[in-house]
Amino acid sequence: MDRNTALAGRRGRQQHSTINTFSAVTTDLEPYAGVWEQAQAAHLLRRTTFGPNKATLQLALDQGLDATILQLFTDLPLPEPPRYYDTEEGDDPNVLPEESWINMPLPEEGNVLPNRSRSLQAWTMGLLLNEEISIREQLCLFWHNHFAINNSVNDPRFWYRYITTIRGQAWGNFRQLCKDITIDPCMLRFLNGNQNEAGSPNENYARELLELYTVGKGPFAGPGDYTTFTEQDVEAMARVLTGWTDTAYQTTDPEEELTAVFQPEFHDVLPKQLSARFGGAVIADFGEEEYAHLIDVIFAQDEVARHICRKLYRWFVYYKIDEMTEAQVILPLAQMLIDNDYEIAPVLQVLLRSNHFYSILNQGPMIKHPIQFVLGPIRQCGVAFPEEWQEQYVLWQQLHELTDRMDMAYYDIPEVAGWKAYYQQPLFYRNWINSISLQQRSGYVRNLVVNGYTPGEITLRMDPLAFIATLEDPLEPNVMIAEIATLLLPQPLETSQLTALKEILIPGLPDFEWTLEYGNYLGSPDDETIRQAVESKLQDLFVGLFNMAEFHLS
Amino acid sequence: MKRRNFLQTAAAGTAASLPFFLNGMPLQTMAKSALFSNVNPDNDKVLVLIQLIGGNDGLNTIIPLDQYVGLAQVRGNIMIPEQNVLSLTDTVGVHPGLSVLRSLYEEGKAGVVQAVGYPNQNRSHFRSMDIWNSGSGAEETWSTGWLGRYLDSYFDGYPEGYPNEERPHPFAITMGGNVSETCQGWAANYSLTVFDPFSLNPLLEGEGGALPDTPYGDELAFLRHSIAQTNAYGEVITEAANLGANTVVYPETSRLARQLKNVALLISGGIQTKVFVVSMGGFDTHANQVLEDGPLGGDHAQLLKAVSQAMTSFQLDLANLGLEDRVLSMTFSEFGRRIRSNASFGTDHGTAAPLMLFGACVNPQVLGENPEIDGQIGNSEGIPMQYDFRDVYGSILLDWFEVEESQVRNLLYDDFTYLPILNNCESVVSTEEQDVPGLNVETFPNPCQAGFTLSFQCQRAHVRITLFDAVGAVVRQLAARTLPPGRHRMEVDMSKQPAGAYFVRLQIGQQIQTKRVVKLG
Repeated sequence: MDRNTALAGRRGRQQHSTINTFSAVTTDLEPYAGVWEQAQAAHLLRRTTFGPNKATLQLALDQGLDATILQLFTDLPLPEPPRYYDTEEGDDPNVLPEESWINMPLPEEGNVLPNRSRSLQAWTMGLLLNEEISIREQLCLFWHNHFAINNSVNDPRFWYRYITTIRGQAWGNFRQLCKDITIDPCMLRFLNGNQNEAGSPNENYARELLELYTVGKGPFAGPGDYTTFTEQDVEAMARVLTGWTDTAYQTTDPEEELTAVFQPEFHDVLPKQLSARFGGAVIADFGEEEYAHLIDVIFAQDEVARHICRKLYRWFVYYKIDEMTEAQVILPLAQMLIDNDYEIAPVLQVLLRSNHFYSILNQGPMIKHPIQFVLGPIRQCGVAFPEEWQEQYVLWQQLHELTDRMDMAYYDIPEVAGWKAYYQQPLFYRNWINSISLQQRSGYVRNLVVNGYTPGEITLRMDPLAFIATLEDPLEPNVMIAEIATLLLPQPLETSQLTALKEILIPGLPDFEWTLEYGNYLGSPDDETIRQAVESKLQDLFVGLFNMAEFHLS
Repeated sequence: MKRRNFLQTAAAGTAASLPFFLNGMPLQTMAKSALFSNVNPDNDKVLVLIQLIGGNDGLNTIIPLDQYVGLAQVRGNIMIPEQNVLSLTDTVGVHPGLSVLRSLYEEGKAGVVQAVGYPNQNRSHFRSMDIWNSGSGAEETWSTGWLGRYLDSYFDGYPEGYPNEERPHPFAITMGGNVSETCQGWAANYSLTVFDPFSLNPLLEGEGGALPDTPYGDELAFLRHSIAQTNAYGEVITEAANLGANTVVYPETSRLARQLKNVALLISGGIQTKVFVVSMGGFDTHANQVLEDGPLGGDHAQLLKAVSQAMTSFQLDLANLGLEDRVLSMTFSEFGRRIRSNASFGTDHGTAAPLMLFGACVNPQVLGENPEIDGQIGNSEGIPMQYDFRDVYGSILLDWFEVEESQVRNLLYDDFTYLPILNNCESVVSTEEQDVPGLNVETFPNPCQAGFTLSFQCQRAHVRITLFDAVGAVVRQLAARTLPPGRHRMEVDMSKQPAGAYFVRLQIGQQIQTKRVVKLG
């Protein structure tokens, strides 16, 4: 081999050049017909909700796979809108505490935008924390990542409207969602669609519509030609989308309605010629309906279905899509999506019910994103919140701040393409892990378990005694640790790892000492000294477990 | 100092770095001595990459003073008034917000390379940033970064066995955020992320177990290794932070300034890291790049001011610390922006853009020509590329990191052309000024219809002539051969090209010139 060949290899020329190969996944989209046990039920709930607990897991086990899938996709009413809970920046004269601000204009004086942002952030975290067996919030986050926005649009009413549009269609029709987002006031502002005018087009949205939201970017095929679309299409489609703008941004006028309006005088009425990549279609003047007509033209390309199926796969299964997966999973799913007129639910249900999804090769290799990492242990270990709703909002909002510091803030995605973990080769999920994030994650679990996560006057802390009281046999340390590990980790630990955890719980002591100590506590639960001794041992155990590399996986 | 916790290696066997084979031969063995013998991994030079995320508007950063008539026609609503521009040379100025560039330029510590890009410009942020990070051509997708490949060529098998007694320091550090894709090696990323070098707490490593040969085992191996490596490098970083000291006060509010402050701190504390990556977002100025009522205000002015203040502090700090000769800083961005502004007082994605270099070893010059700008510029036109970004990278590898030229070609591309962007310092390859006569490029007729005649003169040299269209795509290669000295003429057929603007780029030895040609409809 000559040196160029060696170096060509080193440059990593192939698309999927990463690291090593696995034995191929030979299963496919046929319905899974194997055993339905804790491993399978937990896998489904880990990927579709923000963490199963003992109760949801038991329910899924009892009712079986099909009924659980049905429940995941059961229509739910929209949640109550966010309430106004803090007045740090001063009162909002237009909104009483406990009321929602979503339809309220801004006051003439004073800045209430930060208060409203916090309210929405808190409310969102609350939804993720309290959701039971439903895939809706998981899909909202998926679409939020797909149609990413950030807080440069500084009016939380816009974010609320945007996420509500998504929530209403979470597993609905992708084509319709794409139409709605194209003229969503928040998106119009975020990608400058509101400044896109005849004679002076702003092509920011048109480019992302093709490159990120629909057909995706294919290989370079010639000057300005990316196989799936060309520069000509970006320019022509920007002209198609001229004339739309938003209203009521940061308005103080109670009469002004937040919506998107079409202004014919700013719309380019000349024909728009698309490239051969779209069959050379010419978009004639359809005025207010032209945007929807354009989305229909784009969705006539099968590549739209393949692109979104790859993204769904990376969100719900694993980032690596080898040739086998492309052929046996992605392409058939994409065909189903086309056959189902771009309805998401039936296609996603096939994936979540498939042999492929339950293959052992796909269980556990997803590195948790910060929201999963932060909310997961709270949900899974039943960490209790205060009763008072304002205090819940305070804590929820602080959890949002924490995820923000970990580079994953809801409503503030750093890149238009979404979070790097879902598109950036070759690292994908591994983008979440670095020396900073590892320190943050480690600090967070220590606070949650030991010190209490205390952002203000209110503390959120895991109660390990309450948690182990729900287990089968907390008196027997081996059984208890094995059950905890099974509940909280995606794959079984090895005996040596279980032993190491037991060493943290009862260092250098025989098993019966735990039985004795914990038994003492059960006998005198009000004895503070005994309780603290047992609790502190359990805290050590949970800190040890939450710091394991395995705990970062889902 | 307590004994460092070096990584256990072979036994744990991270799946992430299993040896890989090409034609049945383990690459590590191959690569070792045979390919990379005459290179120097142990010079003490440091490269600081300053990533301007979003696509910096080069035309409002480095301003062609001789093009104001055209500028007024195509970007009148965002143009910086001529009297406010700080001049670098008679014909090249700089945005008033970026005063650091002029002051360092005058001190001989800053330089500019005009119109850096690549053929077949990709206007997607993500794809173009991938190209800049990997150092690939626009038509190829490489999963490694240009600095990652450079480091791979010395440190075979990384991350397996690193850090170790011989190499205890991180090779690269990204200040905050994600690891930099420039440092992506074959098996792992070379950059460690550091936000605050004083708050690195040891992580619990837990009891390891076997790693199944599945995706789960693979990700688990990556996590275990990341945790162990964070601990091992964390000690080194904390030690350097404790030993180091800044000598100037940096602006408090700027993220970039905070990052650069920590870079200076760590270098002053003796860290042997070769590459630091800092970054700043916000350059995607589709709208409100300038204020409606004043082109000196707005987002872009704020961004450049932040860069300027941060670099001023950093360069002064390095000078005080006696580190000026060891540190080279370079800006880069995924692309420049359109020549024509839009009605939102902003600019859309464009083509090439200038790149800035800072440091005592920089050749204090503006390399390259001003773009030609007139009222005929089309809506899609960006600044045509003069210099390939890989030539900038390669020249840095050559002069700064002492990589051999043949090796540079292997790491980047075969057509690498050396650019004299560094000088002054001892390790630098000699770049004595040669008295090169001008190329005297002429095109006639221009505008043209069926074609035009290109003429130029040269010494005996290898000549590469390329025709680009208005968005930076290669139309065709016109010539690539060695010509005798003298004046040369060439007929360029344009009969098959659609009407519009084109650029002829001549690269003759180290001389480069770009000429705009318009074909009439």
